[in-house]
Amino acid sequence: MKRFALALIFLVPGLVLSYTSPGKPNGFVNDFAGILKPETVSLLNQKLEQFSQNTGNEIAVVTISKLEDETIETYAEKLFQEWGIGKEKEPARTTGIVQSGGDNGLLLLISLEDREMRIEVGYELEPVVTDMESGRIIREILAPAFQEKDYDGGVTRAIDTIVGLIGGEEMAPSSNSGSINWFKFFPYAIFIFIYLASILSRSKSWWAGGVIGGILGVIFYSGIIFIGIYILIGLLFDFLVSRSYNKAVARGGIPPWWIGGGGIGGGHSSGFGGFGGGMSGGGGASGRFRLFGGCADKAQVINI
Amino acid sequence: MKKGTLIIIGILVLLVIWGFSGYNSLVSLNEATDAQWAKVETQYQRRFDLIPNLVNSVKGILTQEQKVFGDIAEARTRYSGATTPNDKALAASQVESAFARLLVVMENYPQLQSAGNVRDLMTQLEGTENRISVERTRFNDIVRDYNVSVKRFPKNILAMLLGFGERAYFEAVNGAETAPKVELQ
Repeated sequence: MKRFALALIFLVPGLVLSYTSPGKPNGFVNDFAGILKPETVSLLNQKLEQFSQNTGNEIAVVTISKLEDETIETYAEKLFQEWGIGKEKEPARTTGIVQSGGDNGLLLLISLEDREMRIEVGYELEPVVTDMESGRIIREILAPAFQEKDYDGGVTRAIDTIVGLIGGEEMAPSSNSGSINWFKFFPYAIFIFIYLASILSRSKSWWAGGVIGGILGVIFYSGIIFIGIYILIGLLFDFLVSRSYNKAVARGGIPPWWIGGGGIGGGHSSGFGGFGGGMSGGGGASGRFRLFGGCADKAQVINI
Repeated sequence: MKKGTLIIIGILVLLVIWGFSGYNSLVSLNEATDAQWAKVETQYQRRFDLIPNLVNSVKGILTQEQKVFGDIAEARTRYSGATTPNDKALAASQVESAFARLLVVMENYPQLQSAGNVRDLMTQLEGTENRISVERTRFNDIVRDYNVSVKRFPKNILAMLLGFGERAYFEAVNGAETAPKVELQ
């Protein structure tokens, strides 16, 4: 593991030195500066989790105490890239499973000591959450609330506004109703595939795949020839997965992920699974907030 | 004798395979650079679409400052006439410095800052400036990858034979690196 980490350092020399990551995300809301109440954090987390499940869009809220040498713009962009907020953009050829366009993340970043904040918008959300909208949210919702140190209220209202903005946006429409069913069926298909692959690859028999193929052929009966074709496909499938499994075991390695058994487990854990790998291109807006009696506050900071 | 020819043929085959894969990787890097430059240009274009709006909405008030508007118009014309990326980058930097002057001028007119449409336009322009800087940084990163790959041994021989030259970084020209910063307070 240590060696792996070392290797990573050499592989990723480009991570500019002046940017220091605040850490790994553990939820949609990451209050590194500790300015939000725990109730607010868990409430927002729930809301954003729900929102991400319903629409696929990922919204992250991050508070940090200090920017160090970065500007808030570059920090937001780098953090966005490091965490990969939003779904990863699918290459055009795998259009089968595209859910919306990818790159559909949004980051609300607040730096406490610098009194700066930024809404960084992923590429695909730029037309929905325009710079003007983000600018207004910062000027009209966040700045006035933060001025009165109402961080919870400000962030909650801002997120509600953003969710409202994006929520009005329909996800990429499916071409027809048939494809929706297919989308719903798809996870099950993968599951069945892995299940079959794991059983057939481990079984000594070479004929089981053929039998299953035959049964499927009878179920989806559409002519006697097709039963034969199903049987052949089943046999071929059995042969391929068995060979691949045996090879992997012979090498002393782990069988490929699609054979399942072990590796892929943990499917429906309740924990935060990380963001999807989206990108942003510097869209959004930044702003500053003041505190009432700024001088007194500064004195306080120094006293601490 | 026969063994020798076999070995030579083997080496040749390996060289050809290496040549293919090397060529392909150079092509993909080159294309990635072009694609990234296209993104920079998209943002430039966006800026050029936004600037006239801003200019039009402040022109009436800034009647004393015709020179700035002339500079901006001239730089825009130069940009649309530019064909190579280097020329475009140069013209874009000129737009930037002319535009920065306009912003400085605008600061002397507080009544502009309070106008809602001016403020929204400024927000959009700010966003565009930031996008430009993000895409430019990424462009430079990709160019660096490409240049490293073109210059390093032994691929540099291949690159030389196949005509892959070094590519220019985007460098901000005389003072343009300070993107127009807009303070709205």
